[in-house]
Amino acid sequence: MADISGNYSAQGNPLRERSVILKRYGWNALAGILLAAMAYHIFVVETDWARMGGLADILSTTAEFLPNLAFFPIILEPLFETLLIAFWGTTLATVIAMPVAYIAARNVTPFYPITYPLGRTIIVMSRSVHELIFALIFVSALGLGPLPGIVALGCRSIGFLAKTTSEAIENVDRKPIEAMEATGTNPISVFLFGIFPQVYPVVVGNVIFQLDINLRRAAILGMVGAGGIGYVFSEQMQAYNWNNAGTVVLGIALMVIVGEIVSNRIRTRLISGAGGSRAGGD
Amino acid sequence: MSDQLASVQHEYFRTARSGRLLKFCGVLLFLSFAVWTIHHLNIPIERLLGIFGRVGDIFFNRMMPPDMAYAMQPSILYRVLETIEMTFLGAFAGTMIAIFVSWFAAWNVTPNKTFLYPLGRGILVLARSVPVLIWGMLLVAILGFGPMAGVIALTLLTISFAGKLMSEQIEAIDMGPVEAMRATGAGPTRVFIFSVVPQVKPAWIGIAIYNWDSIFRASTILGFVGAGGLGIYLRMNIQELEYENAMGVIALIIGLVIISEVTSHYLRGRFYQE
Repeated sequence: MADISGNYSAQGNPLRERSVILKRYGWNALAGILLAAMAYHIFVVETDWARMGGLADILSTTAEFLPNLAFFPIILEPLFETLLIAFWGTTLATVIAMPVAYIAARNVTPFYPITYPLGRTIIVMSRSVHELIFALIFVSALGLGPLPGIVALGCRSIGFLAKTTSEAIENVDRKPIEAMEATGTNPISVFLFGIFPQVYPVVVGNVIFQLDINLRRAAILGMVGAGGIGYVFSEQMQAYNWNNAGTVVLGIALMVIVGEIVSNRIRTRLISGAGGSRAGGD
Repeated sequence: MSDQLASVQHEYFRTARSGRLLKFCGVLLFLSFAVWTIHHLNIPIERLLGIFGRVGDIFFNRMMPPDMAYAMQPSILYRVLETIEMTFLGAFAGTMIAIFVSWFAAWNVTPNKTFLYPLGRGILVLARSVPVLIWGMLLVAILGFGPMAGVIALTLLTISFAGKLMSEQIEAIDMGPVEAMRATGAGPTRVFIFSVVPQVKPAWIGIAIYNWDSIFRASTILGFVGAGGLGIYLRMNIQELEYENAMGVIALIIGLVIISEVTSHYLRGRFYQE
């Protein structure tokens, strides 16, 4: 008979040994102390509580953001422009990402010691720079307007598209490729007719996913003058027209939600079962 | 018999041809729409190639030696520390809230399908639908300049990002233990603690670490709207047209993001084996 009266689960369980427990609590306590110190620094040293006012002040300021629906027709045009920036940015990224994916895939890269690190570097740089930084650089070089926004979104999206495509290329079925190579096909034709048909569904799904993400990114590019709805938003914020700013937020939210629903519909129809959903970011 | 075959053939070719025609018209319509949008956006297509030469010229002449001595001065490094603290606080608070939100928003184990499930879904959709920089600007207007607005914006970003992934993990669990516990009369809270959490815990740890590195990228920019962190120096230098200093700050940001990605990769490998 097992001893069910006492704490038998503690017997012989390596996780319940005193040193293990002490070590675990020690790490948790260290993390807790560090978090408390950070919270003290951010919320006490760095925050001006007097300026914030009481809860009533905060609530009344929040209430000033209630959307002004009369402003809604005015933001439809910038919202459409945002949509177009997202579309062209994604198109640009797709066109550039395909060759990058080709040289960044381990099994097909033309000259491994040089082209593979080059492709990987492009992917890492594109993924680790925020779209606003790209937009700042391109606005200062190309001037205001939607063009720097499109180029910035393109640069930002190359990384994700090239990474997922090169992973798909690395996982293709080798048999058709070997068959083509055995007949003496040149590498470009092997890529076009042996590899591309296999990765095509993955690429289309990811491009649509990226278009959905870029809609969200395009909404803020206007803050630095790169076109779209963000410009209207920062303009209304700077003029303290907070009702209008609330309307812009509502418009962006509606556009993003509709975009996400449409993108999910299309992706599940195109590749039923494959992929699955992902959260924002990348 | 052959009559029937001919009619079937006729039908096949007719639909195939009209399908092809429809497809062709669709492509044509789409292309003309695309050309119209370029015109609509006022993009100078004939100058496009020359423009990129100018980008290179400006990039290498005005921006290129990034002023790293400027980027390494103590007041900026202090903001770097502030940025890192913001990411940890935002990730911690956000993940703690996301545990509850993802529990409410998972259809299979949600404690209340009529009230809490729509609430959880609503929070996820609402937080996801507004970009984090706009949350930052709104919070700065409401709470004033400083890292507190940034921490709350990052918390919202974590709820939207980690919360969705976490609730997807809950919806994919093995329902056996859940049904066994329900059969013994356990309430939703106990079911969650003793049969849901043990199943999703490893995946949740991976999601939490991945989320930290993902919000790190956003946190370096939040200072741009006054919500704390080193982004404020980016805005200052851009407005004063000090491009070499701005590039120094950008180089610092890129370095920090790459370090955070490597750290996240290492931690995920250590705590979460897929």
